[in-house]
Amino acid sequence: MMNKLISKNVIYLVTVILLLTGCTKFLDQRPTTEVSTDLVFSDVPSVTKALASVYSRLVGDAGYGIRLSLYYPVDNDEMQGPTGAADNDRRDIARYSATSGNAQITNPFNQIFTGIEFANICIDNIPKMTMYTAGSDQEKKKLQRLYGEALTLRAQFYLEGIRNWGDLPAHFTSASNQAGANPFPAKTDRDSLYEKLLVDLKEASALVPWRNELTAIGDQQDERITKGTVKALRARIALYRAGYSLRKTGTMVQGSNAATYYQIAKDECNEIMNSGQHKLNPSFKALWKDQVCARTVADPDGELMFQASAIGRSGVADTKLGYYNGPTVNNLGNKSINVLPTYFYAFDSTDTRRDVTCAIYNVNADGVTKTGQTITAINDGKYRRDWITNPSILPTDAVQYLSLKWQIIRYSDVLLMFAEAENEISGPTAAAYNAINQVRRRGYGKSITTPDATVDLPAGLSKAAFFDAIVKERSLELGGEGIRKYDLIRWNLLASKLATTKTELLNMSNRVGNYANLPQSMYFKTPSTAEDVTLWSNSFYKAAPTATPTGTTKVVWISTAINSTALSRFATGFTTGKSELLPIPQPAIDANFNLKQNPGY
Amino acid sequence: MKKIVLTVLVSFLTLGIWAQNKNVTGQVTDETGAPLEGVSVSIKGNSKGTQTNKEGKFVISILANGSVVNFSYIGYKSVTKSVNSSDPIQVKLEKNNANLDEVVVIGYQSIKRKDLLASVASVNAKDLKDIPVNSAAEALNGRLAGVTATTAEGSPDAAIRIRVRGGMSITSDNSPLYIVDGVQVENGLSSIAPQDIQSIDVLKDAAATAIYGARGGNGVILITTKGGRKGKMQVSYNGFYGVKELSKRLDVLSPYDYVFYQSERSRGSSVDSLAFLKNFGSTWDTLGNYRNAVPTNWQNEVFGKSGVTRTQNLSLMGGTNKFTYNFGYTMNDDQAIVLNSKYKRNMFIAKTDYQATKKLKLGLSGRYSVQEVLGAGVSDDKGSSYNRLRNAVKYRPFLSASQDIEALDPLADPNVGNGLNLVNPIALANAEYRKKTTTNSNVTVYAAYQVAKNLTLKSTFGYDMYDYVDLKFNDSITPYSVLQGSRKPITGLDTSNRKTLTNSNVLTYSLKNFKDAHDFDFLIGEETYDLSTTNTFNLNKLLPSGSTPANSFTAVSPGVPFAGYPKRAETRYTSLSFFGRINYAYKDKYLFSANVRADGASKFAPGKQWGYFPAGSFAWRVKNEKFMESVNFISDLKLRFGYGEVGNNRINDYLYLSTFKNDGTYFYGINNQMVTGYSSAGLVNPNLQWESTQNKNIGIDISFAKRFDLSVDVYDNASKNLLLNVPIAPTFGYSSQLQNIGKTNNKGIELQLNAAIVKGKDFNWNANFNISHNVNKVVALGINQTSFYPSASWGVSGQPTDYIIKIGQPLGSMYGLVTDGFYKVSDFDYNPATSVYTLKAGVPTNVGIIGTVQPGSIKFKDLNGDGVVDLNNDRQIIGNANPTYTGGLNQQFSYKNWDFSVFVNFSYGNQVYNANKIEFTNGYTNNANLLSVMQNRWKVVSDLGMTTQWINSANQAVGMAPDVLAFINSNAKIWMPIKSSGAFYPHSWAIEDGSFVRINNVTIGHSIDSKKLARLKISKLRFYFTGNNLAIFTKYTGYDPEVSVAGSALTPGLDYSAYPKSRTFIFGVNATF
Repeated sequence: MMNKLISKNVIYLVTVILLLTGCTKFLDQRPTTEVSTDLVFSDVPSVTKALASVYSRLVGDAGYGIRLSLYYPVDNDEMQGPTGAADNDRRDIARYSATSGNAQITNPFNQIFTGIEFANICIDNIPKMTMYTAGSDQEKKKLQRLYGEALTLRAQFYLEGIRNWGDLPAHFTSASNQAGANPFPAKTDRDSLYEKLLVDLKEASALVPWRNELTAIGDQQDERITKGTVKALRARIALYRAGYSLRKTGTMVQGSNAATYYQIAKDECNEIMNSGQHKLNPSFKALWKDQVCARTVADPDGELMFQASAIGRSGVADTKLGYYNGPTVNNLGNKSINVLPTYFYAFDSTDTRRDVTCAIYNVNADGVTKTGQTITAINDGKYRRDWITNPSILPTDAVQYLSLKWQIIRYSDVLLMFAEAENEISGPTAAAYNAINQVRRRGYGKSITTPDATVDLPAGLSKAAFFDAIVKERSLELGGEGIRKYDLIRWNLLASKLATTKTELLNMSNRVGNYANLPQSMYFKTPSTAEDVTLWSNSFYKAAPTATPTGTTKVVWISTAINSTALSRFATGFTTGKSELLPIPQPAIDANFNLKQNPGY
Repeated sequence: MKKIVLTVLVSFLTLGIWAQNKNVTGQVTDETGAPLEGVSVSIKGNSKGTQTNKEGKFVISILANGSVVNFSYIGYKSVTKSVNSSDPIQVKLEKNNANLDEVVVIGYQSIKRKDLLASVASVNAKDLKDIPVNSAAEALNGRLAGVTATTAEGSPDAAIRIRVRGGMSITSDNSPLYIVDGVQVENGLSSIAPQDIQSIDVLKDAAATAIYGARGGNGVILITTKGGRKGKMQVSYNGFYGVKELSKRLDVLSPYDYVFYQSERSRGSSVDSLAFLKNFGSTWDTLGNYRNAVPTNWQNEVFGKSGVTRTQNLSLMGGTNKFTYNFGYTMNDDQAIVLNSKYKRNMFIAKTDYQATKKLKLGLSGRYSVQEVLGAGVSDDKGSSYNRLRNAVKYRPFLSASQDIEALDPLADPNVGNGLNLVNPIALANAEYRKKTTTNSNVTVYAAYQVAKNLTLKSTFGYDMYDYVDLKFNDSITPYSVLQGSRKPITGLDTSNRKTLTNSNVLTYSLKNFKDAHDFDFLIGEETYDLSTTNTFNLNKLLPSGSTPANSFTAVSPGVPFAGYPKRAETRYTSLSFFGRINYAYKDKYLFSANVRADGASKFAPGKQWGYFPAGSFAWRVKNEKFMESVNFISDLKLRFGYGEVGNNRINDYLYLSTFKNDGTYFYGINNQMVTGYSSAGLVNPNLQWESTQNKNIGIDISFAKRFDLSVDVYDNASKNLLLNVPIAPTFGYSSQLQNIGKTNNKGIELQLNAAIVKGKDFNWNANFNISHNVNKVVALGINQTSFYPSASWGVSGQPTDYIIKIGQPLGSMYGLVTDGFYKVSDFDYNPATSVYTLKAGVPTNVGIIGTVQPGSIKFKDLNGDGVVDLNNDRQIIGNANPTYTGGLNQQFSYKNWDFSVFVNFSYGNQVYNANKIEFTNGYTNNANLLSVMQNRWKVVSDLGMTTQWINSANQAVGMAPDVLAFINSNAKIWMPIKSSGAFYPHSWAIEDGSFVRINNVTIGHSIDSKKLARLKISKLRFYFTGNNLAIFTKYTGYDPEVSVAGSALTPGLDYSAYPKSRTFIFGVNATF
């Protein structure tokens, strides 16, 4: 009996043990509704979606939706940030008074690196895909394009990071490959970061097709990166590499071997210009009003070479362009970017770019009639709510995200970069003249390809004078596009230009020198729907009538308000050797003791 | 009925005949001589036995030469008698208040309380009987030393946070493990009616919990449901009916004072002044009319109605020698005090045991419940705009001319800052629909086989299914629809399904009294656990106006999904464990116990899956030493020492695996179309492990003076490997990574005293008292990390954090500015020419927090003395949610057929963060009412309506001469309401003493004399009245200091928009047939 019992139990126990050994797999549970790396990097549509996440880090509140595009690039010698008291926030950034605890610095810093990480994941994985080497010809080409786009986006994020924060840790592979071995990465010198980006972009430009080659690989023409973008960005980075920046020593130092990098910039621009893939839209106003503000996808001229594309009407992946800046409609909008009176008067009265770049009105509740603004309340005008169509926004709609796409690189920038690089290498050659004059002719509403002595730069300029002309032309052409401050830094002109601007503003306020004869009042017509100079009944350049003409309303023009409203808040905290960079956000330093703060902070 | 009784009797008799040769009859009574029914009568050395009947009588067969007969009954001391004649015997059983013979369930086995080596606290059916509530968790509150049960708020289905010795984890779930009849069940207390519970045992220290290994770190709650017992079928009915009412209201300003303040608030702002004129009248004189306005008390309207609670419970129990059963049905029906709020639950329970053969015992039990909760509740975790209590307090305290009470206010401004517009609370309650339906089913089967003498194998299988459906409908006036749904209805439909399969196989061997000195127990076992969950989420907006809840939850919703919806998530978690325990006792004097468990869990990466959890304990029964023999005063004395390691693996699944999200978090516009992106879900950590705790416990159990049992335990719990989302270098692209890096410590002492103060023929008085003291401390956080802040769970955008987790400080530390009264006229220099007030040199300014400072502005302490109050430098820890002492006192009296009990619980030394008070006293939102404490505010308008001070367009404070302002405000006791977003910032004024003494429960019952009942075929009949939450003694000014609304474990003691608690008066009946 006992034996029987024991044997019975032995059988039972053995069964249990067998069951258990069969259970080693029991503990191996895998996710079923979450998606693994293998699944994402298996075909073109999934990789395209992975790349959409990389692109999405360009936009949103912490990207070019508002902070990178509108908070950081002011104040400069064109425009300034909002009125109001110091706020340890956006106003302090504009006035160069930001501290490492400024909350508006943390998220953009983090978002740039999220973009880099997302790009790294694509860069690590796309070339490892079976399809990358064994797919159909079209699949391979599409994947090559996607890989090249990831390299280009990573370069764009790094450039934005370096020009705002200087040296940064090097992250050229995904965090899961890096964080374990080196959880507290130190900074890498920006010169070597730039060099790596230039190598990456060279690789990318070989993989990404020109815009007119897209249909051949089955892709559509849309907002995505093409070969022209890659090359233009490579030229831009080469110019930053060749230029000045604030180093960890606290001094402005030019990058080594500048000539090499001017050559790269020149060559890349030259290739774009010779490709015939990109040209200028004949009308500067149509470019902004009928293309950018109309949110068209089609770009027949190919002038819009790199756009941050907005969508979703939220802070995730949209922009506040036209709400935070630009004229208000029905009092909706922040009008937080103001054109400096000196910049307004930097334009020639016949330059068509003035009334596009500067909007001296707000739109009334009816959505069409205008109220003229004082000289200290001129709005920047390239991104205007009242120009938005597709779909248009009702005057009463309180929506703050208007889905305007931020323009990162335009073809006119390529022409001007070419002129600049050519001038640095060979002086003001005919090719350099031709490039800058194309931009000028379009700006003055002339035929782009026909030489025109009334608007072309005078011949025979010295190398230095030609450089000065480029400094001015870039401002007139690219004003309000988030480029000026960084241009001035790479030329080591920021401190002097800010100082000059302060002097000029004071002179204007006191109506001395060139400004003595400018009008003290301006009269805008009521009612009027005009959106340019025709809104006004008197000239911006001549003394104003003393009595208000009938059918007009008076606004104060050249007056001491320029001092008390504009100058009093203009770049007040600027300190050279410090303000050329933003402080590294405190949370980033708290989380990584190897990340050292920038000089002066 | 008679038939059953006959059958049972016959079977008893036949059994008796089969066994024996001599019948003995007798009767068993209690000390008072009252017959005891159901006393088990057994013969030593023979598994056969019988039970006493209603008259306490029994018949049993004994051996011809005599037998030893044992009489035992729950709650009474067992009696053993040698019987050798067939003369009738009379036995008197003595009540056993000392509880020492009580059986206590510990992991996988049960032992007598006197043999416990670990700290275990218990509640049994007798205690639960006095607390007619619908949740057993609620009944635990304050009853057990070291166990706190905090109801988050007053809603009928409110989460009850049970913490054993404070909880060890910082970010993970601190809930204890629930084992119902030997099977792990997620949140077991909510699916069982208190009336069906036989006992609840809470294992507190590792000596006991380590047998549950990686799941035992937060204590283990073992629930034993009522089973059948031999005897004829007993039918019991418990029913109660109660009325609920709001236990407290907050006082707000009267209509006139409200309008006066609105006028005051509008001064200095042309926009606000215009709005005021439009809403309330044009001249100062007309404002007087509002003295006659009929006030509307919105709190009364929205949650001042009386609620009703009804519960019916029916159970059938009985059995034969081979088969016992218990079937129960419970129905709860609650009409809560909050408008449109309802709660309904139906539960079935069955438990059967079957002695199949001499050696094989089988058991089958099952539970099924359906619970329905209607109503959107009061709080909402989406943010302040969505919370509802604020409307009931802040909404205009009277109706606009000819306005219906349910109508929307034509004057309400929907465009106020931060989406904080106020909505008519009645209209709001009618516009929000929510129905949460939970279905729980559970089946447990076991087989116990006696393999050999003293050796038993028991296999248990459990299957548990939880189904949850959550329907939400927000009509166009609700903040959700206004802010996120373009003023069109929004619907949500979430479902959650959870299936659990468990199996345990346990082999036990026990040898008692070996060579008259050694007791030996041995247990070895194996367990598997398999939990699958499926969750789906649907959220649609832009439904056609006029949609109703009834036509919105169709298969194809007419709305547009929110970005990232619908979502579906499936997980499966499996674990495999082996465990063993050895108990050894020498002469009942030295007791040793050791156990160990190995746990493997699928939550971790291969190679990291297995963990080992050892524990050991030792007890010395001092009483059994020679030198104690003569100390008659002490009847038992035992010292206990325990040490063990336990874990907490209540973390999410798959955290060690790198995954991608496709949930709409990221998207990009390509060709003007939204393309959703695949994005990395986070920086994974392949080294993740469970959290673990080392636990040390020293205890003493002492019984003395024949009336008192005292247990005192001192413990030290050191937790490590706590999971924290540690900030990592953000240049990696992520802000944080989950790491096993935190350490906390809980040290404490707890005392439990049970006393039978008076034991008499007619009058008995028992008391149970417990008190605990726990000190929690954060010991370590991430590398180079000394503190972190959980994000604020209420307030406006940019709201500063209100809690801090800091090394050296307890969890639940509240963080903020230090309130310092308000600015006086004397703090300013006055320029009579410009009427401008400027702060005197040396007086710190608040401008960064509240905007321009003027006389009467709230003042905060400038902690670092730099002259500027700012969030970076001038905040500190201002409160601690952890009580110094908690406990309770339960007293039960009985006099003849009357019984009476009073239960009081208390908490001392904890603070509550009264965030309601901050919002309800600020002037941020237009047309919002204030708490009446603001009646004594600093005013900026004279009694005649003149503006005495204001802020001009250059942001300067201007006003009448200092003596005028001082005169007008000579009685001011509090600052002027803040209008900027600083109005929501946490500061020490809102941190209040949350100490309280609550008369939690008073019951008076009367049992009808059993002789009178005999004719009615009723064996027991008791009527009772109970008052729940009768009174609370506290300094706290909010609704109730026992509150903790936020879902996050990091912000305990936060009172923001909690569902107010009610007071309940109940009439009930217990009847047994």
